[in-house]
Amino acid sequence: MSQVGKLGYVDSKLGAPTSGQQTTRILFNTIEAPGTTSSLSFFKNFQGLTNGQTNLTQNKLDSMESMVIKTIWLSQFSTSGILTAIGGLAQQTLSIIVGNQTVVKNLPIQFNQGTNGQAFDRLHEQGGAETTNIIGGTALIQIAMPCEIRLLTDIVIPPQVAFEVRIESNAAAYGTGAVVCALAGYGKIFSAGSSF
Amino acid sequence: MALSAQDKILYVANKLGLSTLGQMQGSTGAVYDVDTDISGQIFSSASRHQNPGVTNITENQFEVNEALLVEAISFYVKNEAGNVLNFQSVYGSNAVLVFDLIIGNKRTMKDTPVFAAGTPYTFANTGQRTIASGVDVVTALSPRNQIFMEGAGILIPPQVQWYVDYRIFDVVTGATISATDTTNIGCYLFGTRVLLNFNTSI
Repeated sequence: MSQVGKLGYVDSKLGAPTSGQQTTRILFNTIEAPGTTSSLSFFKNFQGLTNGQTNLTQNKLDSMESMVIKTIWLSQFSTSGILTAIGGLAQQTLSIIVGNQTVVKNLPIQFNQGTNGQAFDRLHEQGGAETTNIIGGTALIQIAMPCEIRLLTDIVIPPQVAFEVRIESNAAAYGTGAVVCALAGYGKIFSAGSSF
Repeated sequence: MALSAQDKILYVANKLGLSTLGQMQGSTGAVYDVDTDISGQIFSSASRHQNPGVTNITENQFEVNEALLVEAISFYVKNEAGNVLNFQSVYGSNAVLVFDLIIGNKRTMKDTPVFAAGTPYTFANTGQRTIASGVDVVTALSPRNQIFMEGAGILIPPQVQWYVDYRIFDVVTGATISATDTTNIGCYLFGTRVLLNFNTSI
């Protein structure tokens, strides 16, 4: 089943509106200065974040909006804007909780990072690329790539259901800059049509 | 089975009453423009721009029976020398461009981020750069700043104006980053194209 079919199927099962503008949706959320911690929760705190750090104001989609999670994207930046491997080299797991249900459970993310990457699928051949840079990376000279995971199944975030992305580790170092999580996939956004 | 690009074009054309769009020439194409005014909008002032140095369209709407099914959207930087540059290598890895795609009076893509470090859908880096002259080893990666549309893309129908609205931020601090005359933002819309075909009418 395609993402389009899956979203339509779940929305109809839930009695959610199936009309709306079909689009590609990318949700993102930033955690500032996470430091060293065993657990990160994305899409939980929106306080103090600007439109450049999140594109939501709460941890749920609007009443007429829904989307499929197809890609998970993670990045970590230093205070000077250098992209680094998320959590350093520490092994970490990622879970996605939609409503009261865990829809992705303890998925290891290291497989798609530079240096220690062992991509599970061919699409990510260079997704976790990293180069040995003799002059060291800067914000303008990027030597690594973000972590990205393409899911094999289409997971739906229905309208007005709280969701969260959780990363767990044994005290991984996330630094004093920022870590960002983005969820991407096919979605529907509210379209007034002829109703206004 | 997923909807094909051609099916999607014909579906939308039918909804809009464009009965002859299916008889036109199918193709692959891309349109591009640069926000030289630093207004936060791309394509809306394309009619005033040099062609093909800055844009490849004469106005931000297609003529009769021409259309574009947008299947990929990417951003780049154009400097005052006219060179096309990678967004990350100019703005830095911590920059994020948040954009909307407006077709007619409808926002079809909403607050969509393009991370300079490499957007979701990177899968690969576009290239590897050697920064220091005389050094053979690759010293930097140039990420893609590109969105691949899920599903079957979004159709820009004939004779409907479109534009891209964007803002740039520092994702670490949340501060707004302003483009300058030397760092204008450009945008490509790439996908299945419909070209006017007169058939036997001329």
